[in-house]
Amino acid sequence: MEGLSAVPVSLGAASPGLAEGPSPYTRADLYDLLFRDYAADLGFYLGVAREAGGAVLDVGCGTGRVLLRALEAGLDVDGLDDSTEMLARLRQNAAAQGLAPRVTEGDMRAFALPRRYAGMLIPFNAFAHNLTADDQLATLRCCHQHLAPGGRLVFDVFSATPAMLATPVADPVLELETPHPETGRLLRLYDGRRLDVATQTQHSRIAIEELDAHGRVERTHRFETTVRWIYPSEMELLLRLSGFDRWAIAGGFDGRPVADHQGAIVVSAWRGA
Amino acid sequence: MEPDEIEHYVQPEAYDLYYSWLTDDIPFYVARAKEVRGAVLEAGCGTGRVLLPTLQAGADIDGFDIHPGMIEFLKQKASGLGLTPRVSVADMRDFTMPRRYALITIPFRAFQHLLTTADQIAALRCMREHLEGGGALVFNVFFPSFDKLIRPDGEQMLEREFAHPDSGLPVAMYVTRQTDRVNQVMSVEREVVESDARGYASRTHRDRFSLRWTWKPEMELLLGAAGFSRWSVMGGYDGRPLERDTDEMVWTAWKD
Repeated sequence: MEGLSAVPVSLGAASPGLAEGPSPYTRADLYDLLFRDYAADLGFYLGVAREAGGAVLDVGCGTGRVLLRALEAGLDVDGLDDSTEMLARLRQNAAAQGLAPRVTEGDMRAFALPRRYAGMLIPFNAFAHNLTADDQLATLRCCHQHLAPGGRLVFDVFSATPAMLATPVADPVLELETPHPETGRLLRLYDGRRLDVATQTQHSRIAIEELDAHGRVERTHRFETTVRWIYPSEMELLLRLSGFDRWAIAGGFDGRPVADHQGAIVVSAWRGA
Repeated sequence: MEPDEIEHYVQPEAYDLYYSWLTDDIPFYVARAKEVRGAVLEAGCGTGRVLLPTLQAGADIDGFDIHPGMIEFLKQKASGLGLTPRVSVADMRDFTMPRRYALITIPFRAFQHLLTTADQIAALRCMREHLEGGGALVFNVFFPSFDKLIRPDGEQMLEREFAHPDSGLPVAMYVTRQTDRVNQVMSVEREVVESDARGYASRTHRDRFSLRWTWKPEMELLLGAAGFSRWSVMGGYDGRPLERDTDEMVWTAWKD
């Protein structure tokens, strides 16, 4: 049943053997300046943390964008991240706000914390850094173990749309532009993406430009990162295999049907009571 | 499977006509069957398109299919060739054979008639139970190409034109698809039009069926969930790597 006019699309756009540049998380200061005001998911995750009605863990808490606001709101939220630099920045931000966060440096695939949580969050596509099924399952199992009975894990993760598959290689585009809060000088983030449709990975070459007072590029910082997208059925299979017995998948933070997602799915999974 | 999902196999002769052009997978499956030391089982053997040439090549092959009409037609074709195949009616999600096999095959995307994850895992488990230690499951499914995913829903398209195997007259296959991207199910209504010598439509066959596509990492999860611990995938019957989204995924999974 091959089509008459199928035009082959290369599956291996991102592979093979691209040299990995430094992760953008090694420059937590730049990351924080660029994303500190990102709020599209904030109300959603603060709501989830509040509804948990108990201790919450923010997995991949980064520089504290969600976590510090939850603490400000009086919620009992711990944090986990595998980046020393990001956690250092989080602590700086917390100190500036007079907050005392409980955060741990650790790998989402293999962490062991003393508490059990009524709610767990993995905001802002952090789950997509699990590049293999083994990594995905290890993370989900580890989260499942840390949930209190009846507790809920919530995360958003990249899920490719047919439109994305149509352009597996995209030139760098300006994704974000924001003034430095102290100097007013602009910071720009460019992202050039290559998709590998067989392994479901997206390789990004990121350039962050610091502009001078005249709007000229003063410095350019280059990074590379890879994320793995997940289809809804595959997500259900991963949840099932990692011990969850109930879940719901939405197509956005507004709760729209998964069929209408625009490149990210929002997963809620409950540990049995 | 629900009866409406296998409706198109009710007319085995029409099925043979639809796929008279499809031969490129036969040498591959015959070669797999001949190279193993031990018995072979073909799941979804249909009218024997692959099974009969495999028998003729001297392999020890059993077969089953969910549709009695297909098995009946296979037996008729076999007796015309002087062959006596061991074939039966069974469901790939839940079958019991007295033998254990060195090789189990599921040719021509029959696996894609399993429309849910639960059915897929049940079938893979059942296959694995019927393998000897060291035995292999070999099957092919299409890669969900961009081309397939973006085809407009509800629009009839000419899928293929080919010559009738007996008369040489043109046959046209039209399909109308509905695509459920969340459940990864493609529902197909098909019209196959035979033309007479003057080019007029002389006979029209209609049928419908559904196929579920599976992404590569998802298939690996399914194989793992069914108890397989080792597998590989090729991009075609010639053993080339999976490189293009129009490639066929040809899977081999071994039972340790």
